Amino acid sequence: MGPERSELERLIESVALELVVGSAVSERADRIGEMLSALADQARGAGFSSLTEAVEEMQGALQPSETQDWDEVERKLKDGIARLRQALEESEAAPKTASPNQLAEDPELIADFVLESQEHLVSIESQLLILEQDPGNAEAIHSVFRSFHTIKGLAGFLELTEIRDVAHELETVLDLARGGQLAITPAVIDVALACADFLKQWLERLQAPSVERHLIAVPPSAPLIEQILRLRSNGSDTAQAPEASAVNGTAAPVEVREQAEAERRRARTGEARMVKVDTGKLDLLVDMVGEMVIAQSLVRHDPDLAQLRTPRLLRNLAQLSRTTTELQKTAMSMRMVPVGQLFQKMARLTRDLARKSGKQAQLETIGEETELDRNLVEEIADPLMHMVRNSVDHGIEPPEERIAAGKPPVGRILLKASHQAGHIVIELSDDGRGLNKQKILAKAREKGLLDNGVPETDSEIYNLIFQPGFSTADRVTDVSGRGVGMDVVRKQIQKLRGRIDIRSQEGQGATFSFKLPLTLAIIDGLVVRVGKERYIVPLYSVREVLRPGPDTISTVENRAEMALIRDHLLPVIRLYERFGVEPLSKDPCQCVLIIIEINGKGFGLLVDELSGKQEVVIKSLGETMKDIPGIAGGAILGDGRVGLVLDVVGIVGNHWEVAANA
Amino acid sequence: MAAVSVSPAETRQASKAESLAGKYLTFSLGREEFAIQVLKVREIMGVEEITAVPQTPPYVKGVINLRGKVIPVVDLRLKFKLPELEYTQRTCIIVVQISMGTTVLPMGIIVDSVSEVLTLAPADIENTPDFGAGVTLPYVMGMAKIKGKVKILLDIDHVMTAQDLEGLEEIFNA
Repeated sequence: MGPERSELERLIESVALELVVGSAVSERADRIGEMLSALADQARGAGFSSLTEAVEEMQGALQPSETQDWDEVERKLKDGIARLRQALEESEAAPKTASPNQLAEDPELIADFVLESQEHLVSIESQLLILEQDPGNAEAIHSVFRSFHTIKGLAGFLELTEIRDVAHELETVLDLARGGQLAITPAVIDVALACADFLKQWLERLQAPSVERHLIAVPPSAPLIEQILRLRSNGSDTAQAPEASAVNGTAAPVEVREQAEAERRRARTGEARMVKVDTGKLDLLVDMVGEMVIAQSLVRHDPDLAQLRTPRLLRNLAQLSRTTTELQKTAMSMRMVPVGQLFQKMARLTRDLARKSGKQAQLETIGEETELDRNLVEEIADPLMHMVRNSVDHGIEPPEERIAAGKPPVGRILLKASHQAGHIVIELSDDGRGLNKQKILAKAREKGLLDNGVPETDSEIYNLIFQPGFSTADRVTDVSGRGVGMDVVRKQIQKLRGRIDIRSQEGQGATFSFKLPLTLAIIDGLVVRVGKERYIVPLYSVREVLRPGPDTISTVENRAEMALIRDHLLPVIRLYERFGVEPLSKDPCQCVLIIIEINGKGFGLLVDELSGKQEVVIKSLGETMKDIPGIAGGAILGDGRVGLVLDVVGIVGNHWEVAANA
Repeated sequence: MAAVSVSPAETRQASKAESLAGKYLTFSLGREEFAIQVLKVREIMGVEEITAVPQTPPYVKGVINLRGKVIPVVDLRLKFKLPELEYTQRTCIIVVQISMGTTVLPMGIIVDSVSEVLTLAPADIENTPDFGAGVTLPYVMGMAKIKGKVKILLDIDHVMTAQDLEGLEEIFNA
């Protein structure tokens, strides 16, 4: 709403300005006409009907006529401006008391509708999947019915007739099912899911900015309604429920721990006490609290205050520090969401994929209530989706193959989330084929990925699948097997400062585990100094810090340097060379060597000195500088200056590439 | 003010001058005086410690902390290929709002000194003179004559966007 309004306001003011400045209106009629039509477009796009009318009237006044009285025109235009301003003000002052017709156009109400419907959609999908497994589950039918009923009511209120009609027809079918007059067949589930998809598309359209809204096509509701009606007419014949459980490719989230499920149900009754908050505001809050924590620590360590060691001051400072820490925790927790919603999406995906590929797969989840930063949830959705696709597509075998291997025909995919020492671990396991080491090695050789030596350990072999251009799938399907993807998955996870591990037993299945920090906003960092600049090295990547002796570092053909640390040879990168900064000293013995480990590989980073350890809030450097290799972002340091946060993967990635090309 | 016949070219020029009229902040770089629209300016501050960002073009001086936000700072002297100058008491960072597509980004530009805020009438503004082939001034919207002095009206969005990004990319890919 905001940007549209201010844009309108700006346009109106510019027309007003055009009217009062300088020369006569007659000379600038064309220009004013242009501005008015821009204004009309904008007003129409934003759905301000009163504004649109006023603008159209002004455009009419400008129409050239034989006996043009320019004074009259000018007067009309000025009146028009006054009307425009008034209309704009009214639209702001009283959106809620507008006539019902405008109600449907109110962006705030629409946004509420979208939000609420999205919540219902999530519940509809998960309940439908449960229903598919257990067609007699009355609780699930009731829940889906209630959700569609609510959506129907809201849509009717907002005059979204197509949504209302679809929801209404489906509701009728569900009502029959509720009364036992119609069996929940796979066909019913399919149609209900199709309705959910239809609704999803509508919501996307409603979320688009109003000017672009008409560009997004909406599938017609008529075929869908026809499908629903067909269900109803068939309903009476099929009332004796066929065995729906024998459907090919079924998937439903099965909460392994019943207790957790019961707990969640109990939690749901407490929902009335919740408040919806704009996520932008929440992000700002977390950001500002982060700054406050830093400011607080600055005050506490102020050298001037250190001389004033009175008990009262110390007590108050301790109190301040406790309060800010508590505040930070609360602010962070407000942004935490359970991972369950994400898992629900995967359940739907598994179902659809299994259907498509003629396999049978069932998704089980553990730890749906595990919480993580909502920003992180959005970031891991795509990689996770990709991995689930891989599991269904490559991991799980077709039913015949499974039976031949002595496994149950329905493949089992398990998604498990848990907290481990400040990290969240998401594990995706399947009981399918597992990874075939020979096949991976053969493929890697074919692609020329083994030119630098053959990997020995299992995990090194498995990690080959993350190489760009790698794919072991015998055939390319429309979902996976094109060799893009796994490397993208790993890159994305690394970007989030996480890691992926693979465990696999051939013939028994594979487990991919993602380990991620709970939040992206704050990291523990090591502040290092190079010349006049200070950089922050993320602490999670630091293995040890040492002062090199004269023999620690040796050169290779005078081109590269390496360090011998505890019988391991590690490449050394001089940060000042990498970043082109003038260091305090070029003699390694005067410097500090930081041993960094990522993905099981290590390297040494040479810096001038350590300045300490600090918790920092990572900030983006802005659009223009977002992809600088080796730099993950900026953070405001204790003295108010900006320090750059190093992206250790980027630093070493470049180095290794350069070394390979040399 | 009424009907005086004017040639189409002159009308075009007049309407451009009108759209450019308004309030401007003027500043100096070497011997030249520039002006940017006041609407684009968010604030003016003295030069403080700037954190250098590696692998950026020389005219990108780095980033500063603007009340908790990290924003990039560009030295306009270097951007315009003028010789570098030691920063003085008069050197300023003008924080401008750059429109890039639909987003607005804050960005700092370093100038020798800030002069004043002027209101320019259409009559004060002229098109950029044609300097002949080989001299293109893509950043210049027009010229203003005030009390016998020329101010260059700068299209600050243009200065900071398209070409810069390409330039940065070249450096990254190198």
